[in-house]
Amino acid sequence: MKPENPILTMLSLAAGLLFLAPVLYSVWMSFQTADAFYAGRVSFTLDNYERAITQFSFARYLINSLIVSGLVTVLGITVATLAAFAFARFRFPGGDLMFGATVATLMIPSHISLIPNYLTLAKAGLLDTYAGLILPAISNGFAAFFLRQYIRGIPKALDEAAYMDGATHLQVLWRIIVPLSKPAISSMALYIFITEWNNYIWPLVAVGKQDLYTLQIGLARLYRINPGEGLIDWPLVMAASTITILPVLVGFLAVERHLVRGITMGAVK
Amino acid sequence: MSGIALRNIRKAYPGGPTVLHDVSMEFHPGEFIVIVGPSGCGKSTLLRLIAGLERADAGEIEIAGIRANDLAPQDRDIAMIFQNYALYPHMSVRENIAFGLELRGMPKAERNRRAEEVARMLQLEPYLERKPGALSGGQRQRVAMGRAMARNTSTFLMDEPLSNLDNALRVAMRTEIKDLHRQLGATIVYVTHDQTEALSLADRVAVMKDGHLQQFDRPEVIYDRPANRFVAGFLGVPPINFVAADKLPGWQGMQGLTAGLRPDILTVHAQAPKGPSLPVRLVMSEMTGSDLLLHCDSPAGRLTAIAPRRDLQGGTESLWISYDLDRALFFDNQNGERVELTR
Repeated sequence: MKPENPILTMLSLAAGLLFLAPVLYSVWMSFQTADAFYAGRVSFTLDNYERAITQFSFARYLINSLIVSGLVTVLGITVATLAAFAFARFRFPGGDLMFGATVATLMIPSHISLIPNYLTLAKAGLLDTYAGLILPAISNGFAAFFLRQYIRGIPKALDEAAYMDGATHLQVLWRIIVPLSKPAISSMALYIFITEWNNYIWPLVAVGKQDLYTLQIGLARLYRINPGEGLIDWPLVMAASTITILPVLVGFLAVERHLVRGITMGAVK
Repeated sequence: MSGIALRNIRKAYPGGPTVLHDVSMEFHPGEFIVIVGPSGCGKSTLLRLIAGLERADAGEIEIAGIRANDLAPQDRDIAMIFQNYALYPHMSVRENIAFGLELRGMPKAERNRRAEEVARMLQLEPYLERKPGALSGGQRQRVAMGRAMARNTSTFLMDEPLSNLDNALRVAMRTEIKDLHRQLGATIVYVTHDQTEALSLADRVAVMKDGHLQQFDRPEVIYDRPANRFVAGFLGVPPINFVAADKLPGWQGMQGLTAGLRPDILTVHAQAPKGPSLPVRLVMSEMTGSDLLLHCDSPAGRLTAIAPRRDLQGGTESLWISYDLDRALFFDNQNGERVELTR
């Protein structure tokens, strides 16, 4: 390792703080009373968290977000892994066309599918349900593409050795490909989870019942609730924001090592 | 034990040339078969067809008397050792060896016992809990063999299993594989491009070139009576010398033949010998231990001969080479086939 350069270290620290500053400021703000905040005083309280959870149903929204993002992640990564395995390892009629179509979905802005998805789910009677929130998100072209590229890097001889050992296609996938693709799968799972966690438009369109609101919808609605005199209760909003950020942060820390490996895969042999 | 029959096997890859042309062979139960040939001759493809990893475009594959063309690899009850070993990197040596048994539903205690038994045979016991990444090339090769052996199958396919090892290890492993064959009594189909492996291991050798089977016989027959010029040239170290027969002094036979003179039928002389011989100029000599490998230019062309080192102490460049025409091989110049001369 190169000896540390103090100037570079200082610059890195400054850059890190610059990125962190808004987050730290919002967390700090979330522990202030609204009166003290607007009066420019400092007064520590946990009241904003208590109000967000009890008065404004953020516990419910948190559970909804965990259910929706969790299931979208599990189902999405399962579908993407199965598709990636098929695209990477099998030649079948129309396979190239299907892969091309999967890649082409990456070029379509997601908002274009908003109305068709809404109409389809309305016809199926799935609006205002968890299924309505989850189903449209489980097919993820980018994850399928990314995992296919990763699986293609795994020597095919390993699959063949497993087939010779007596494995079926699904056993090869589950016992050989999936364990060896852990970095890529973890990266994609986190990517899908964060994307779904931050999803705002679709839950806004697909759900009207407050019981099914996700954190993002709940957060957006907090802006409209005035503590009086038309002022936004920023400390309350920041407490809700912190509740929203926390699970993603924990998730990121859990798979960070895999994530970095997944993203830099193939950089060196 | 199961024999294997291949009948008129043809295989071409999509958009590529035909890699196997009507190849037919029959392997008896318990035989050690070596398929040998240069790169691209179709030997590995043939092995993959037997394994079920590729499908033949035409022809019949029969394993233990049953048509196997449409059987999946897992239904053929064949074990295979791959050139790069293909060990599962995320599993320990024990798990690698026992994986096939697990897939066949063997209880954990029993498969562990079997893995340990195999590991003992292959001297892998100290490494059972290690991952393949922490093993040397030779140890990985043994694990690959152990994985195949654990399953107690009667047919083993080996795709150049020693090609990634250094020379000393290769020689040692060759002996072990031969020993193993004796112990297991299984049918082994072994692919290599190394002719020493072919001749030393096989009960019968199949020599292939450009997807065609050139000759399939016992190693002694392949060496002593090669079917054609290619087989004669491919097997034998140092390689056989080819010269026009009519340029050899003493030759009184038919025209249009090429003589194949293996270095062991040539004798090097410092003085002109009595019988038929060629005057040669020494171009290069290589020390191989007690012998010298001599590359010489003669009026008939370049010749390679072996001579004991002590016989050539003088350092002269002008030598004579005599030959035993009764032991020479002759090939038709037109089609390269060996010609049996009656003398």
